[in-house]
Amino acid sequence: MNNKFWYLTKQSLRKKLKSKWFVGVNIMLLVVIVALININSIIAFFGGDFSEKTKVLVIDNTEISYSVFKESIEELIKEDDTKEIVVNKTKEPEKQISKNLEDNQVLIVFDNDETSFVTAKVISNEKIDNTTYQYISQGLNTAKTSVALIKTNTDPVLLAKISSPMDTERIVLSDEKNVDENMEMVMGSIFPTLILPFFMLIIFLVQMIGGEICEEKTTKSMEIIISNVSPKTHLLSKVLSSNLFVILQGLLLVIYAAIGILISTKGQLSIDPNVDSLLTATVESGFLDKILTLLPAIIIMMILSFLAYSLIAGILASMTTNMEDFSQIQTPIMLVLLAGYYLAIMAGMFDGSTFIRILSYVPFLSCLVSPSLYIIGQINMIDVLISILVLIVTIFIMIKYGLRIYKVGILNYSNEKIWSRFAKALKSKDM
Amino acid sequence: MLQVKNIVKYYGKNKAVDNLSFEVKDGEIFGLLGENGAGKTTTFRIIMGLLDATEGEVLLDGKPIDYSITDKIGFVTEERSLLTKMTVKEQIIFYGVLKGMREKDIECELKKWLKEFQIESYENRKIKELSKGNQQKIQFISAVIHHPKLLILDEPFTGLDPINVELMKKAIYSLQKEGCSIIFSSHQMEHIENFCEKLIILVKGKAIVDGYVKDIKKDYKKKNILIRGENLPLKEIEKIKGVTSIVKQKDEYMVKIEEESVAPKVFAKIKEFPITKYDVTEATLNEIFIAKVGGVHE
Repeated sequence: MNNKFWYLTKQSLRKKLKSKWFVGVNIMLLVVIVALININSIIAFFGGDFSEKTKVLVIDNTEISYSVFKESIEELIKEDDTKEIVVNKTKEPEKQISKNLEDNQVLIVFDNDETSFVTAKVISNEKIDNTTYQYISQGLNTAKTSVALIKTNTDPVLLAKISSPMDTERIVLSDEKNVDENMEMVMGSIFPTLILPFFMLIIFLVQMIGGEICEEKTTKSMEIIISNVSPKTHLLSKVLSSNLFVILQGLLLVIYAAIGILISTKGQLSIDPNVDSLLTATVESGFLDKILTLLPAIIIMMILSFLAYSLIAGILASMTTNMEDFSQIQTPIMLVLLAGYYLAIMAGMFDGSTFIRILSYVPFLSCLVSPSLYIIGQINMIDVLISILVLIVTIFIMIKYGLRIYKVGILNYSNEKIWSRFAKALKSKDM
Repeated sequence: MLQVKNIVKYYGKNKAVDNLSFEVKDGEIFGLLGENGAGKTTTFRIIMGLLDATEGEVLLDGKPIDYSITDKIGFVTEERSLLTKMTVKEQIIFYGVLKGMREKDIECELKKWLKEFQIESYENRKIKELSKGNQQKIQFISAVIHHPKLLILDEPFTGLDPINVELMKKAIYSLQKEGCSIIFSSHQMEHIENFCEKLIILVKGKAIVDGYVKDIKKDYKKKNILIRGENLPLKEIEKIKGVTSIVKQKDEYMVKIEEESVAPKVFAKIKEFPITKYDVTEATLNEIFIAKVGGVHE
C-alpha cells in the first residue's frame, strides 16, 4: 500500500511536470518576470525612453534667478538615471516662444516682485509628468530662496540653518507598534509583491489537484484506481504531489527572478538606485526585521495553508462529474483567496480593528492576513501561533470528515446539484 | 472461489441489493443479468470493495474482500475507464503497478497481449487516438494484465466487431483455463448463452432467476417450434390451445407454445402439408429475460 502511495504521488507529479500546460506557463512566467525586471531596457530597445529629455527654457527678467535655478535642477537630477532635464536661457519674447513651444519643452519666466522677491510662470503645451514637475518646483523654490537671500543681504549660513529640516528622534513606546511610519509605504509596495507568488501558487494548487481528480472521475478511471488503493491513499497522494509541485514552481519563480536580475545588472549584481532606495526603506522601516523574525512561522503557515487548500480542493473536486462542476467549486475557493489577498494588502487601514484581528485567525485567510498584521504591528506572535493552531485543527477536521465526503464523492455520478451531493455525502454512512 | 453471501445494500431508504447470494467457482463463468438500475453496478462495486454492503459478506478464496486482496481482481467497467491522455503503455503500466506488478513484468505481459489482440503497433499511441474497439481491447488488457483470480466483465464486447469479439472470447476462455473466476454482465443475451454456465437475473436488486443456464432453459416451460413449409394452416395453428403467437422469420415460422405438450398438436395440424423443417426448441435467454423482468430491455 505504501509503495502504491509513492507510485501514485510520483506518477501524479510526473504528469504535471510533463504537461504542456506546465511547460507553456513556465516559459511565459520566465519571459514575463525577466521582462518586468528589465522593462527599462526593453522600452529603450524599442525606441521608447523612460528618461525622456525635458528642455526647460528660461526667460529671466530678474537677471539672477536663472543660474541658481539651473544649478539647483542639475543637482537634483544628478542621481536620477531616469530623468534628464536640460535648462537653457533664452532672450526671445515670451509670446513667440509660447507659440512655438514643443511638447517636451517647458518655458519658465522669472519676474521681480516687490513682496515675494520673485515670481515664476511655468508654461507647457501639456501636463508635465509628476517627477519632472517636482524637480522644477524644488528648483524654483531654491531659486526664490537665493534671490531673497541676495535681495535682503541675509547671511547664507544662517539661512541654511533656518531652512534645514528639523532633527527628529522617533520613539515608540509599544513593542507591538511600528518603529517607522514608512512601514505603510513599504507594505503598500513590497508586501503585495511578496505575497503575489504565494497567491498564484495556491491558485495553481487548487487547479492542479481539482483538475486531476475531475479528470479521473470523468474518464471513469477512478473506479479502477479506487479498487486498488483506498480513497485516503489516493487523496493524500494527490495532496502531496500537488504540494511538491507548487514548492517546485515557487523555486522556479525565484530562479526566474534571479535570471531577470542578472540580465538587468549584466552579471554585475549591482543594484539599481531605485531598487536600492526601496531596499533601504525596507530595512529602515523594520519590515525586514519583522519578516525575518516571523520567517519560521510564515513557512509553517504557508505549508499548512497549501495543505488546507489542496485538501479542500480535492474534497470538493471529488463531487464533480464534469468540468462545469469543477468551475463551480473553484469559485468560492478563489473568492476566499482573493479576500485574503486584499485584506492583507489593506490591513493597515483597519488599525486596531477586532474584526480584522479575528479574520487573521480564520483558516484560508490567515496565511495572508496574519503575517501582514504582524508586520504592521497590529498583532503579536501569540496571535500568529493561534492562527497556526486553528489551521492545524482545520486540517485535522478536513481529513476526518472530508475523507468521508471524498470516499462517497469519487464514486458519485448523480445528476443532483453539486452542493446537494456534497451535503448528502457528508451525511452518508458509507465510511 | 468467490462467495457472495446474503448481501443487502441500502442507499438511504432505497434498497439497491436485496439479500443476494451466489458462488463463482474457480474457472467458472457466471452471468449477472438485469435491466438498467437492477443493482448490477452496486453488486460489482461491493465485490470490488468499493462499497460496503449494509448486510452480508463477500469472500474471495475464503477471505473478506479488502485492499489486501483486491490485487487479485480485474474489472472491465461498462463505460471506458481509461486516462485518454496517456499512451497505451503508460496506461497499462499505471494500472498494472496499482495491481502490485513490477514495471518490467508489465511491459513483458503487455507485449504478449498486444500481439494477441493484433495491436502491437499501438503501444506508444495515445489512448484518445484509438478507435472505440481498440480502446475496449486496452481496457480489457488493463484488467487482465496481472492474471486475476476474479475477473468482472461488465459489457466487455462494447464497440467490438465480430472478429475482435472472437479474439476477446478466446482470451476469456484462456483465463478461464487458468482457473480465473469470471463474472460476466451483458445486455446481449447470446453472449451470456454462449459463455455462462450459471447466471442470476436481478430485478430491483433481488435474484429472480438463479441457476445453471441449461437448467433455467429446461425448466422454462414455454418452447418454440420452428417450421419451414408451404401453405401452412397458420390460422388453424393459432387456434390450438397453448399456442401463444406465430412469428414469421425469413422463410420460416416460429410458433410459440405454452409448454412442450402442445408441440404434438401443432405437428398434427401440419403433417399433411409439404414441410421441410419442424424443430421444437427451448426458449432463448432473451425471451426468458423479457418474461422474467417483465419489459423490453436494450
